[in-house]
Amino acid sequence: MNKYLLNGIYSILALIILSAFAFKVFQPIQVLPRMQLSPAFALTDQNNERLTSEDLRGQFVLYNFTYTNCPTPCYNMNDTILEVQSRLDEVELDGIDVSFVTISIDPEHDTPEVLNSYAKTIGADTEAWKFATTTNKALLKTIIGSGFETYYEDKGNGDFAFDPAFILVDGWGIVRAEYRYSTEVTHADRILRHLGVIAEEVRNSTGSGKLAYEAAHLFLCYAP
Amino acid sequence: MRHKELKMKIKITLSILAIVAGLAAGFYFFRPHTFHGTVIQSPEPAYDFTLASTKGDVSLSDYRGKLVLIYFGYTFCPDICPATLANVGQSLRELGEKADDVQLIMVSLDPERDTPEKLADYVGHFHPSFVGVTGTQDELDTVASLYGIFYEKAEGTDNTGYLINHTATLLVIDREGYLKLVFPFGVTVPEIADDLKYMLRQ
Repeated sequence: MNKYLLNGIYSILALIILSAFAFKVFQPIQVLPRMQLSPAFALTDQNNERLTSEDLRGQFVLYNFTYTNCPTPCYNMNDTILEVQSRLDEVELDGIDVSFVTISIDPEHDTPEVLNSYAKTIGADTEAWKFATTTNKALLKTIIGSGFETYYEDKGNGDFAFDPAFILVDGWGIVRAEYRYSTEVTHADRILRHLGVIAEEVRNSTGSGKLAYEAAHLFLCYAP
Repeated sequence: MRHKELKMKIKITLSILAIVAGLAAGFYFFRPHTFHGTVIQSPEPAYDFTLASTKGDVSLSDYRGKLVLIYFGYTFCPDICPATLANVGQSLRELGEKADDVQLIMVSLDPERDTPEKLADYVGHFHPSFVGVTGTQDELDTVASLYGIFYEKAEGTDNTGYLINHTATLLVIDREGYLKLVFPFGVTVPEIADDLKYMLRQ
């Protein structure tokens, strides 16, 4: 009796540990970490209209930070956004909107008019891609530097040093991914895959699915 | 011989039943806690603000070791602020003695009208332990932005004066100072109490 009971308990324990291990290794569900809160802001966009963090709630938003006077060769961030935007139909988004927000780190030069013509030059679809900034430089530094944890520095005479990062924020205003260093896979490929991952989580993490998704977060089953 | 076999079968069946019952009970008691709020896996501590209260400057880090709830609002707030603060007050009463390890800080986004005295009086109505803080516009802009709280002045009526529209989330900082949970507006007393109880056991 004892022997059977003990064997039974051992095998069930082993099964539980094995399945937890398998969950971690095979990652049937992949998620993106909920890294931190995205900062709140009220900026002015290329049409001289207000753009706030609340306007973007409920959408997936890809942020980047640059300045229009960036001398060539500048980091080529626009091509990545153009590619993501043109390939969005490859991703199952279930009707969740994807927006792109380029925040200028040079509000003195990048007035709404300048941003507007910049958007036209690169052929941006400004329905979904906003160019914005604020003349409150201290607050801008708080939003980008502390909020998005992205470095930039005014070098004087109109030049800036900055980190060419992309930040992906979900509909709850939570930062889900950062793209700071080029990998073998292009940023556009990873961003598109990640949009699919967070859309799938919205779709499936209800009811008992929520438990599975929380387990995936707990086991750090992060999508590469 | 047949008798022995039957006995063995019964034993095996009983063992299996016992294991299944044990597992079910074990799963019930040890199942992972499902948070009602959204869990954030912040890699670094939450922004350590210092703002003014009637008892002098208050910093988030003063409460390291306790769970800290942060709520942004203002005392003229007609509806959502009192509802949320009342829910937190009720949750703390349900926690009993354990509530000593929980601190709510209300950050007023209305420095023009909310003096520290007015704030202290206001938050005291909801729970005696609540602390109200405020600061200059610049200080508040920074704190609010870094906690994902958008706010703006809006027109009110003659009775209310101006209103302040603001993000109405309730934030929970863990004992080590990391932002752990975000509750949406409308979170209920049992939901708050359940998540806090779990975090207090950690």
